[in-house]
Order: sequence, then structure tokens, then C-alpha cells
Amino acid sequence: MKAEHVALVYAKELRETLRDRRTIIVMVLFPLVVYPLLSILAAQVLASKEAKQEARPSRVSIGGPDADTADIRRAIESTPHTLILVPSAAGGRAQVVAGTLDALVEVRPGVRAPDGGAGTASVDIVFDGAREESQRARDRLNDALGQARPVGCEPRFTMADQSVAPRAKMGGYVLSKILPLAVILMVVLGAFYPAIDVTAGERERGTLETILSSPIDRFDLMTGKVLAVATLATLSGVLNLASLSVTLLKGLALTGAGTALTIPWGRALATLIVIVPASFQFASLLVAVGSIARSFKEAQNLLTPVYFLCFMPAMVAALGEYPLAGLPALVPGVNVTLLARDLMLAKLHPGTAAVVLGSTLLYGGLCLALATRLYDSERLLYAADDAGSFGGWLQRLLGRGGGAAPVPASPADDAARAAALFGIGYALLYFVFLPLQKASFARGLLISQWVGLLGMVWLYARLSARRLRDVLRFHMPTARDVAGALLVGLSAWVVLAFLVEWVFPAPQEVVDRLRDMVTPRDGSRSLVINLFLIAVTPAICEEALFRGPILRGLAARFAPATAAVLTGILFGLFHMDLWRLVPTSLLGVLLSWVALASGTIVPAMIVHLMNNGVLVTVSQLGGDDRLSKLSTPAQAALFVAALGVLTAGVLLLRGSRSARNVAEPTREL
Amino acid sequence: MAGPAVAVKDLVKVFGEVRAVDGISLAVDAGEIYGLLGPNGAGKTTTLRILAGLLAPTAGRAVVAGIDVAAAPRAAKLRLGFLTGTTGLYARLTGREVLTYFGRLHGLRGAPLARRVDALCDALALGPLIDRRCEALSSGGKQRISIARAVLHDPQILILDEPTAGLDVLASRFLRDFVRAERARGKAVIFSTHYLAEAELLCDRIGLLYRGRLLREGTPAALRAERSAVSLEEAFLGLVEELEAVAPAAPPSTGGQAR
Repeated sequence: MKAEHVALVYAKELRETLRDRRTIIVMVLFPLVVYPLLSILAAQVLASKEAKQEARPSRVSIGGPDADTADIRRAIESTPHTLILVPSAAGGRAQVVAGTLDALVEVRPGVRAPDGGAGTASVDIVFDGAREESQRARDRLNDALGQARPVGCEPRFTMADQSVAPRAKMGGYVLSKILPLAVILMVVLGAFYPAIDVTAGERERGTLETILSSPIDRFDLMTGKVLAVATLATLSGVLNLASLSVTLLKGLALTGAGTALTIPWGRALATLIVIVPASFQFASLLVAVGSIARSFKEAQNLLTPVYFLCFMPAMVAALGEYPLAGLPALVPGVNVTLLARDLMLAKLHPGTAAVVLGSTLLYGGLCLALATRLYDSERLLYAADDAGSFGGWLQRLLGRGGGAAPVPASPADDAARAAALFGIGYALLYFVFLPLQKASFARGLLISQWVGLLGMVWLYARLSARRLRDVLRFHMPTARDVAGALLVGLSAWVVLAFLVEWVFPAPQEVVDRLRDMVTPRDGSRSLVINLFLIAVTPAICEEALFRGPILRGLAARFAPATAAVLTGILFGLFHMDLWRLVPTSLLGVLLSWVALASGTIVPAMIVHLMNNGVLVTVSQLGGDDRLSKLSTPAQAALFVAALGVLTAGVLLLRGSRSARNVAEPTREL
Repeated sequence: MAGPAVAVKDLVKVFGEVRAVDGISLAVDAGEIYGLLGPNGAGKTTTLRILAGLLAPTAGRAVVAGIDVAAAPRAAKLRLGFLTGTTGLYARLTGREVLTYFGRLHGLRGAPLARRVDALCDALALGPLIDRRCEALSSGGKQRISIARAVLHDPQILILDEPTAGLDVLASRFLRDFVRAERARGKAVIFSTHYLAEAELLCDRIGLLYRGRLLREGTPAALRAERSAVSLEEAFLGLVEELEAVAPAAPPSTGGQAR
């Protein structure tokens, strides 16, 4: 063996691979971002679920002669926050099974002792092992009644748990914990490679021209492809459903834990009605994304994040145990997972199921329409990067021949560097900044922002041999820009707050946690310190990173609107909060638009400063409570007024851009 | 069919900042083999892809069998057969499965389709190749299946984009013989290649393309005579030198190269 040759080949292969930025992003940065994101998502969902369940008292009842239940009644009544005693009625067990009662305490009098004393009574806590609320009620009763039995004395009663859940219901319950998520994941995984094969694979095999020169409508072509992928995904889902059901329950039976379980084959079969439309939806999505790719490798790079995007809502649904009603019934991925769970639990509401299935098919149809537009021979048969760019393609997708061109940028700015900066920042946030902030919020935040984020941008400027102000586009704004930014900053938070409250309301505990973070109840931070920490600092440091190299890098590759949306989403993800993802992303889009429209970062900093500053001030003065207690007409009036101010600000900024030649040298501070 | 089988008028195709096709006009009659000649990047493939309905022209018109391709691509595609050097076969299907698939896309089915496939098997000497998976065939075998695929619906016009690329001498000769036979059956054939000798052997008329423009058009003999050249290659090089002297080529573009 010639070591020199091995070393030569090794170095060449590494150099070639590492020059493919997409490989690097997927291989290194993607896991750095995704796993922290998933863990935070899971932690927040579980915490929210726990808090919700803790806040709900269990409805319990007592059955048995009053004389024997007095102690028990007292014990239950002493914990009114967790247990609510409802009057006993006939058929208590049936109520537990039906879910109208969480648990029943059945008391059987003890046999009287020969000396005439009362015998030891036996207490059965009757619960439904296939229902979480009932299990919680059992635990709470055990705690309460356990305390009623004095330690060291002869107990007046013995206690035992008794589940009334039938074997099939228990089987369904166990399956509902694992199967929905697993099946959805297997469906997506089952569609993954076939979607690549029918799109990018067609091009790599050289059959693209042949099929596109045949007299077949593109919609027909893509429908055939999507249905083929959906069939394979369905097969994957069905096989996994059957195999997992049997394996899980038989495995539990082998360990002795599953002797009370049977496979509810009827319910497992009913889950098929979820698998088929879910397969169609995910197949359409993956085929649409695969249609963008020009090679098998590119398709893999593009579809891997999409796979995780499909995984996240399914995971949120599986962990969060949300009821299938309202918004969750319409959220793609969440709705099918919850419906699969409800089918396993035999809790099917036909109306809701119809909404879930209908919306899933609708999303699938939309993705199919998208795939049809994307499978564009103009782009697929053209080799050059510029005309075949995502931005150019998006313009065609939107039906605009010309449209806005990417913003002229320094050659040093590009999307790969923007993605790398975000990935590094995200990893630092998770592994360094958050622990620092947990140890000491104020100190940690200051270090994270001024040293971490601003330091990253400074380092980026140094490494790309440019001045920091050039990297940031730090130019003197016009008076019109400043006026527009002030109006947007004053009003955006109101508009976003109401939109979120009406469309995507956060649980109260999340709101309380956020409020505590902004304005600690102990009054340990003055308004001035708070404003510096939460308004001034992010307005400079977060803007420097996001509206600096990240936005400019993306704008060098994509059309301005696309760059603003992508930057906004990254900005939302960076805040690592599921409940704030939507409003923060929307704010990020707005800030990005402001920076692009004005051609300088300063107005975006002003908007960020105003937005956070007003929020901190209102929160410190207790105004947010008053805001949420306003009547609906008052809220609507406030929303409309804020929308008006926001529109005026946007128009000012928009006019400012059109009045100024972007290429004209801008005045520097 | 009144008028030429293929008519291209002031055709322009722009990719980004690159004018891949820059105002080409030409016409091909039924029973004629027309060769598009030029170096890589001259605009041959882009022109043929526009004719095949794969690309939309930026300006100008492409008409096949009297049908504007951009306006009615499906109707145009029914009347043409398109063949490239890459063969474009599905590797995991057999030749028969490929022919059945494309035959049905062209509206053939049942016994007529089976008869047509059998007839092509005889005409193209496909023999046992037809029931093998395409991935197991030689380049020549693949090209024969691919020819059968292109003429399965008996199109009036054949568009052949460098169909002999990568073929050995025997396979290339087979293809040329096939093209001549199609001409004899009254088909219009438009044929691109950068092998000038091959074009000289096969084509009735030739269009010389360079930098997206049609430099000259005529019979091989007329083109040679115009430049007093002994070969088409010499004539072509003379024309290019003349053009370069007037308008030198820009440095190699990083922009679009249709492939």
C-alpha cells in the first residue's frame, strides 16, 4: 500500500466534498440546529401539557355507607385544588368508563371485630387505565387517602387500585401512545426515496426530456407520480402499523405487562383512513420539493429538512395530547397524528374527522399543484445557476416574468454563509447562551448578545475583510425612514399581539413565564435596566446578525420577498419558543422588509427598539393585563387603529425606497 | 399538409443574460433531412427543445405540422418524435414495457399497439432485446429501442438531437440508414450534430449555427462551393473566422449552457 496515494485520495475527496456547501449545511449545521430545536419543542410541549393537567382538578365520587366514608370524604375535601368530590350516584363504574367521572372510591365495610370495634374497611380506587385524567385522579386519590392513614397506627382501611378499562381499550390506549407518531413518520419515510426517484431521479437517468416531449399534461404526469409515491408511502404506513401493533402488544405480553391488553384490530384498521390521505399529503409535499432539485444529491439535501419539518408537528401532537378540535384539526401533520390517536382510542367525532381528512386532502392537492408548477422543463433542462436559481424559479412560480431582482450584494454575501452563521449562532445559543442566561438572566443576556451575536458579526466582517458598517449596511437613514420606522415600531406589537391571541393563543403559563422574564415580580430590575436589556440590546445585536449578514446573504441569492420571509423564519426559530414562533417570525419578516426597503439597517433597529421598548414599558406598568381585559369591540378598535398606524409607517418606508436610487452612494454615519 | 413541416421564424431564447438562440429562421419540408450544425453552445439543442415543446421561446415562433408549439404543445407533440443521444429509457423497464408506456401516452392501445410494437421489432431488428430490461442493453440496443419509442406513433416530424453521440460505427450507420428510410416515407427530419462529416453524408440541407445565429443555410455542396472549400468543416471554419474578425467572441460566459 502506498501511503502517499491514500493520503492524496483522502485529501482530494475531503476537499471536493467540503466544497459542496449544501453537504456541509446538511451534515454539520442541520443537526446542530434541529436537535436543539426538537428538544426545546418537546420540553415546551410537555411542560405545557403537564401544567394544563395539573391545573385541572379530578372529578371523583365515593360509593359506600357514609359511616365508613367519613375519613375518606374529609381527606378528599381537604384537597379542593386537585380533587372535586361529586355526589355519588348509581353506576359510578359506568361513569368512570364513560369519562364523566375520573375515579370512583368504592368502600367496603370491614367485618366487625369480636370486641365490637370496627373492622378494617377496604377501599378500591376505581379508575380507567386507558385515560390519562383517570390515572391522574387515581394518583391524587392515593396521595390524599394515604395521608388519611396515620403512620404507625392500625389502618382503618386498606387500599387497592382497580382499572375498569376493557382489554381492547387498554390495547388501543397503549397503541395510541406510540403508533400515530410512528405511522406518520413511516409514511413520510416511505415517501422519501420514491419522491426523489420520480423527480430528481428522472433527470439523472436522462428520461426527463423523453417524458416531457410526450403528449402528456404536466398535471397528469405529476398526479401519476404523486399517487405512485403515495401508494408506496401507504404501504409503508400499513406494514408498520400492523407490525408495530403486533410487536408492541406481544412484546408487552411477554414481559407480563401486557396480559390485560388485546390488539384492537378494528381500530387499527380504522387508522387506514388516516394513512391514505396523509400519504397523499406527504407524497405531494416531498414530490413538490423534489421537483426543485436538479440531482439526486440535491434532492436528498432538500428533503432532509422537509422530513424533519414533517416530523415536528407529528411529535408536538403526540407529546402534547391536544384535543382534536379547532385549530389542531387544521394544522398539517398535527391533525392526522391526533386523528390516528383518537381512532385508536375509539374517540372518533365524524365532523372533526371530516375536517381533518378534508384539510389533509386539500393540502395534498395544493402541494400537487405546486409540484406541477415546479416540474418545469425551463428550469430543469437549464444548467446555469442564475437563471435556474430558486429566486428566479419562484418568480416564475408566482407568474412574474421579471419581478424584483435579488438585491445587489457584495460577493462576500451569500446564502450558504448566511445559513452557516445562523447554524453557528443557533448552536451557541443552545449550548452556551441559554445556560448562561439560566445562571444569570441579565448577565447571560448581555454576554450572549454583545459578545456572542455582535461578536459573530464582527468576526464575520473581519474574515470577509470588510468593515463592520459595510456588512451591516449601517447608513444614515432619511427622516422619512425614521418616521416610518417609529410608526411601525409603535404599532407592530399591538397588531401581532392581537393576531396571535385570536389565531394562535399561547397557554396562560407561557404568558406568565414571559412576563416574569421581562418584568420580574420581585421588582429586581428597574424600567431603565429592563429597557437596556430587552429593548436596546437585541435591537442592536440581534439586528446586526439577522438584518446584517443573514438577510444580505439570503438577499444575494433569493428575491427580496423570499429573503425577508426566510430571515423572518430563522429569526423566529432563534427565539426557541414554540408559542412565540409565529409572532416572532412575523416580526422578523417585518424587520427584514424594513431593512431591505430602506437600504439600511438603522430603521430595522429603530423598529426593534420601539417594539420591545413599548412591550417592556407596558408590561412593567401592568398595561398588558388591562389590554387583555378589554372588551372585544375595544380590542377590535385598538387593532384597527394600530393597523392604520402600521400601514402609514409601511407606506412611508416604501415611498422612501422608491424615492431613493438604491445604487446611489448612501450617507454613512 | 400545406407549407413546410417545420417552420421557425425569428426564434429567440434568452437564459438570464445569455441569448442562446438569437433570431433563427428556417423551414424544413416533408421528405427532407435538415441538419443543424455547430459547435457546443451554438444553440442547436435549445432550438430543438423549443421545437419539441420543452422550452418556451422568448420571442419568435416555432411551428410543426402547421401547429404553433408554444400555443398548442400537446397537439404538436402528437405529431413529432423526439430522440436524443442519451436515449432516455427507463432502465428498470423492458423495451416492450417502455414502448407500451409511450404508445399509450400517444393514444395507442390494445391490438393496434401490440401490432405496432411487433412491426417495429421487425423493422429495427429488436428481436430478443425487446423483452430485456433496458439497463441490460448495449448502447446500440438502447438506441434502437429509443428509435422505436420515437417513431412508435408514426410522427410526421422527427427531431433528433445528436442521436449518434456515444454510438459505435455500426450503430451510427444503422441510425443513418433508418433516418434515410424515414425520409423516403415522407417524414421531415431535423437533425443536430457537431460531426460535420456525418451531416454531409446524411442531410439534404444544412444550417450552420454559431453563437445562437444561423450563419448560412443550403445544401452541403452549395455551402462548400460558396467558400470554395473541399469539406464542410473547412467551409464552416472559414465562416467562423470571418465572423470573429468582425465581432470577436466575448470571453467564455459563466451563464447558460443548455444541456
